[in-house]
Amino acid sequence: MPRDYIPILIFVVVAAAFPIVTLLVAKLIRPSAPGKTKLEAYECGIAPETDTRGRYSIRFYLVAILFVIFDVETIFLLPWAIQFDALGLFGLIEMLVFLAILIVGYVWLFRQRALKWA
Amino acid sequence: MEVTTAHYLVLSTLLLFIGTVGILTRRNIIVILMSVELILNAVNINLIAFSSALQQIHGQVFSIFVITDAAAEAAVGLGILIALFRNKETIHADEIDLLRW
Amino acid sequence: MSIDSILFYLFAVIILGSAIMTITRRNVVHSAIWLIGALVGVAGLYLLQGAEFLAGVQIIVYIGGITVLFLFVIMLVPVREEALTHRFSSQKWIAVFCSVVVLVILMAFVVHGGGSLEFPTREAPLEPGSLTKNSEEVGYVLFSEYLLPFELASILLLVAIIGAVVMSKTRKSETES
Repeated sequence: MPRDYIPILIFVVVAAAFPIVTLLVAKLIRPSAPGKTKLEAYECGIAPETDTRGRYSIRFYLVAILFVIFDVETIFLLPWAIQFDALGLFGLIEMLVFLAILIVGYVWLFRQRALKWA
Repeated sequence: MEVTTAHYLVLSTLLLFIGTVGILTRRNIIVILMSVELILNAVNINLIAFSSALQQIHGQVFSIFVITDAAAEAAVGLGILIALFRNKETIHADEIDLLRW
Repeated sequence: MSIDSILFYLFAVIILGSAIMTITRRNVVHSAIWLIGALVGVAGLYLLQGAEFLAGVQIIVYIGGITVLFLFVIMLVPVREEALTHRFSSQKWIAVFCSVVVLVILMAFVVHGGGSLEFPTREAPLEPGSLTKNSEEVGYVLFSEYLLPFELASILLLVAIIGAVVMSKTRKSETES
């Protein structure tokens, strides 16, 4: 059975090897002249004033969380969609209950205005 | 050498060990949560190994629930971490000692 | 050695190596990147065991979702200089000792009980076929036998949404001031 995935394995190996080989060849060919200025953050020529890792808005995290939760929801939707014929009406009702519970959360989010970007 | 179920169990035990060490020794709570993910993966390796040894699909279905759990745990855990950072200005496990005496 | 064994040991090395790197790296971002390595290795093991659907789920949810969540939180929280030099807590040696004891006990179980792990194979083993086949199988069992856990999972997700948002939301008084 794993034989079926040998092409994918080769693909992964080639994809991983490509950047490594490229960087290695570039390292061998290019002249080496390290300097402190070269390692500084580039900010249109002026000297950087703060750390590169400034703090981000919490909204990014909220969106990421919602993405993960609804990502998991998709994981349950996919096998249902594949087996739609075999499961029939019962499966449909099952999935509607599942979605209804999650939509309660979605409506709650909107009522809380957690998704508003301002 | 043929790979048996015992091999998978040994691998999953080692992963559990690494996760436990990570939880107990690291100070950064983000890394502690990552170690929890490692442990959940060790559980999943076990479930899959038994699923294929017994030729039953139930182990795989159970793994889906474990992954669902992991997602919920990460979301709430990191939310708690952010609330903690807001109140305490720290994400280090040994500096949160309000309940210690 | 068959190709199955080679792949198993390859994935085992990837998983354990990446896991060790995850818990020892000084920089948290590096930890997250190594965590991805460990998760990819586990996905490979799933493929090896004929659990194609789960391998996909592993990639989509863990690597595409949870790791991204970790990286976002790392960006939200600033690093302190002192945290980079002292990354292990003071009880680290006791902790490692206790973990090693637990590891030895568990290993003893696996090694001595190895004989009981030889399961009789069914007469008609599951066809570990293509992705669709495995997904169909999982779907059918999930929606017939695991009906209640499935509905409970939705409640778990609902609680996770509400919990995460309540925890991380800025309070009204903070935003006004």
